[in-house]
Amino acid sequence: MKALRFLLGLVLVVAAAHATRAQVTYEQILQAAQHPQDWVTYSGDYSGKRFSPLTRINTTNVSHLFPAWTYQLGLLGKFETTPLEIGGILYFTGPDDHGYAVDARTGRAIWRYERSLPARIPICCGRVNRGFAVLGDRLFMATLDAHVVALDMKTGNVLWDVEAADYRVGYVFTVAPLVVKDKVIVGISGGEYGIRGFIDAYDANSGGRAWRFNTVPGPNEPGNDTWKGDSWTRGGAPAWVTGSFDPELNLLYWGIGNPSPSDDTSERGGDNLYSNSVVALDPDTGALKWHYQFTPGDSHDWDATEVPVLVDMEVNHLPRKLLLQANRNGFMYVLDRTNGEFLSAKAFVHQTWAKEIGADGRPVVLPGSAPTESGTVVCPGAFGATNWMSPSYSPQANLLYVVSREQCDLFTAAPQELHPGHPYVGSTYFKPVGEPSWGALRALDPLTGKLKWEYKFDSTSWAGALSTAGGLVFSGDMEGSMIAFDARLGKVLWHFQTGASIFTAPISFEVDNKQYVVVASGDSLFAFSLSQ
Amino acid sequence: MIAKVGSSGSSRLTRFAAATLVALVVTLLFQALFTKAFSARAQESENPLGSNPKVIAEGASQFRINCAFCHGLSAHGGARGPDLTRGVWNHGGSDADIFRTITQGVPGTLMPANDLATAETWEIIMYLRSLSAGSAKGISGDRKAGAEIFFGSGNCSGCHMVNGKGGRVGPDLSRVGAARSPDFLGKKLRDPNQTLAASLTDPNREWPLEYEAVTVVTTDNVTVAGVLRNEDSFSIQLMDLSEGLHSYWKRDLLKVTHQHRTVMPAFGEDILDDLQLRNLVAYLDSLRPRPEEARQ
Repeated sequence: MKALRFLLGLVLVVAAAHATRAQVTYEQILQAAQHPQDWVTYSGDYSGKRFSPLTRINTTNVSHLFPAWTYQLGLLGKFETTPLEIGGILYFTGPDDHGYAVDARTGRAIWRYERSLPARIPICCGRVNRGFAVLGDRLFMATLDAHVVALDMKTGNVLWDVEAADYRVGYVFTVAPLVVKDKVIVGISGGEYGIRGFIDAYDANSGGRAWRFNTVPGPNEPGNDTWKGDSWTRGGAPAWVTGSFDPELNLLYWGIGNPSPSDDTSERGGDNLYSNSVVALDPDTGALKWHYQFTPGDSHDWDATEVPVLVDMEVNHLPRKLLLQANRNGFMYVLDRTNGEFLSAKAFVHQTWAKEIGADGRPVVLPGSAPTESGTVVCPGAFGATNWMSPSYSPQANLLYVVSREQCDLFTAAPQELHPGHPYVGSTYFKPVGEPSWGALRALDPLTGKLKWEYKFDSTSWAGALSTAGGLVFSGDMEGSMIAFDARLGKVLWHFQTGASIFTAPISFEVDNKQYVVVASGDSLFAFSLSQ
Repeated sequence: MIAKVGSSGSSRLTRFAAATLVALVVTLLFQALFTKAFSARAQESENPLGSNPKVIAEGASQFRINCAFCHGLSAHGGARGPDLTRGVWNHGGSDADIFRTITQGVPGTLMPANDLATAETWEIIMYLRSLSAGSAKGISGDRKAGAEIFFGSGNCSGCHMVNGKGGRVGPDLSRVGAARSPDFLGKKLRDPNQTLAASLTDPNREWPLEYEAVTVVTTDNVTVAGVLRNEDSFSIQLMDLSEGLHSYWKRDLLKVTHQHRTVMPAFGEDILDDLQLRNLVAYLDSLRPRPEEARQ
């Protein structure tokens, strides 16, 4: 009997050694850069760099990269996910709030989750989702019907499900949440529907709401006077891309979207805080510590939701804690992330709306760039100089990689009444005849914004970037190519035709001493690795 | 009278009355249900809003937001959507037809289903009606004479197919009348590159490449000229002017030259006089989906 118990114990120990780990602590997310085998948060670590320190795949062997497997969803819609990888299992979301756990070695599914969604959800740009967040043995998903849901990592079972807002009037989630300490942080979408934006934090354990930061201040709050009349009640300013976090400063950085209606300013006037800003919040309370507004009183739909990249480097021989953002308005900004001080900005695409960003951090706006009833041609266009596609920063190459869009629009404006649940944009935009559009992956000096190299795409790309310590940058394009570049020189070292446009950035991880690069394209997840 | 009837008769009558009552209730219920269903349908076929300036103005605002991207700010048609000001409706011209076209879209075309409130849809319809009021313009040309130009002297059919007859280098024009306004077609014939620009500036290339002329030179110094069919950073696909299909890795080519123009020749007044142009446009305008396709 004793012997049997011993044997049984031995079997359990052996089984445990072979089972994959399915637990992620807050400390692991803090240490993500030191443990690059896993990919535990949206941008790889809290700094928003989307840089993998892995080196097995590198400039000398990347030409031998091949698809190890593909996983096909069989769903229509854009596949914008950033998967998480934990202990050999990939966890990712798909269109229409589907969720998946797939073995990273074989591409075989462990479980699937499908949310029962309403048929009609007011949403501007597709029933998309950008990914899970993880803490402990739970995955967190923000849904199109404006709920936040916790799933069990081993089964996909729903552990809790809370409503954040009313989807019927335009509040939706597309964002991948960010876990900080014991909280799940999410930002709302709906800038086309006259919502009032917010960033929420939920207790990971209970699902109870810990705090809400309204991105449009209410009456008697500082900043409410930057809105005309009651326009703040429908001021937009969504927060639909995952932010970054500095644990030492205990500050959460989140990009805020455009004011509503996006093109017509006549009803809202003013700077419209905190639209088109980055806000620094206390992650424990949601209290605002500082803000910086990139585009005051925006009329071109230039959300400042792009992932903030946190780097520490010397500026004029003094070490500084910096926040970099390549903004949709066409400028790459350098801010001091301790206090929001504006340090510099340089255009990284052709732009026609600002003479410069002044020393005080306010743009010097050129006359004739505001939308009119018959239209004004402005560069960049409404989709911006870049967008939700992630940038990447390689500390090894000391370069910031930005997927850049060279495209202009004819912007028109007209006053519009708000009908809740229906688009509230104040007119529209068109492709101007005779203005060519194209895209490029650009490598910028992180301090000066100077262009170090670029690779031109046939059309404006929507794919993000991943850099690695193997001396590589990975990105993709609208024509379906997944491409590996030499991070320092921009030379193409490998490419693969995935068969569909790429709408997200790749990730990298290592399982059984084998490095993988994974990206979503079309309705499929592609895992690339070296053959041996 | 009823009181005088015997007991058995009375009971029979009661049963009859009860049966009548049940039948009546059932009929009323049916009627109520039917009326309800019918009125739900009526909502989508009968305009509940009058046509007044406020409705038309609200419709214009809705049109700018929802429709102008393809049909143009003034509804005169764009590179994607047809002119909506002519009073010519490709998919049925009754209020109910237009309501259906807007809300359900048109399968097999670029017209999507639109998620609009019922009132918003009616506002757009009333706005469009106000634009085309009393117009329903016909085309002045002779379509039969136009067809003769297309398949004969103009040799349009050398490159374009209509209902299975013609060449392959240019786009199939079997339904071109439903997709393009006569004005667009006339301009396209006179200056084919004028409208090319609009499609070349599309960031996502959502509408067909307008048959751009390209020339490639292979490593053994063979030059192949043709029409671009597809292209990415690493490869290119084209059709030569004899309808041969070619696909190359760009690394295997010495040179790829984009002509930034279409292979379609310009039909100036020396080739087609104004009357011939009108006739040809009248023919092209008549090329529309068969009625059963249009009703799908």
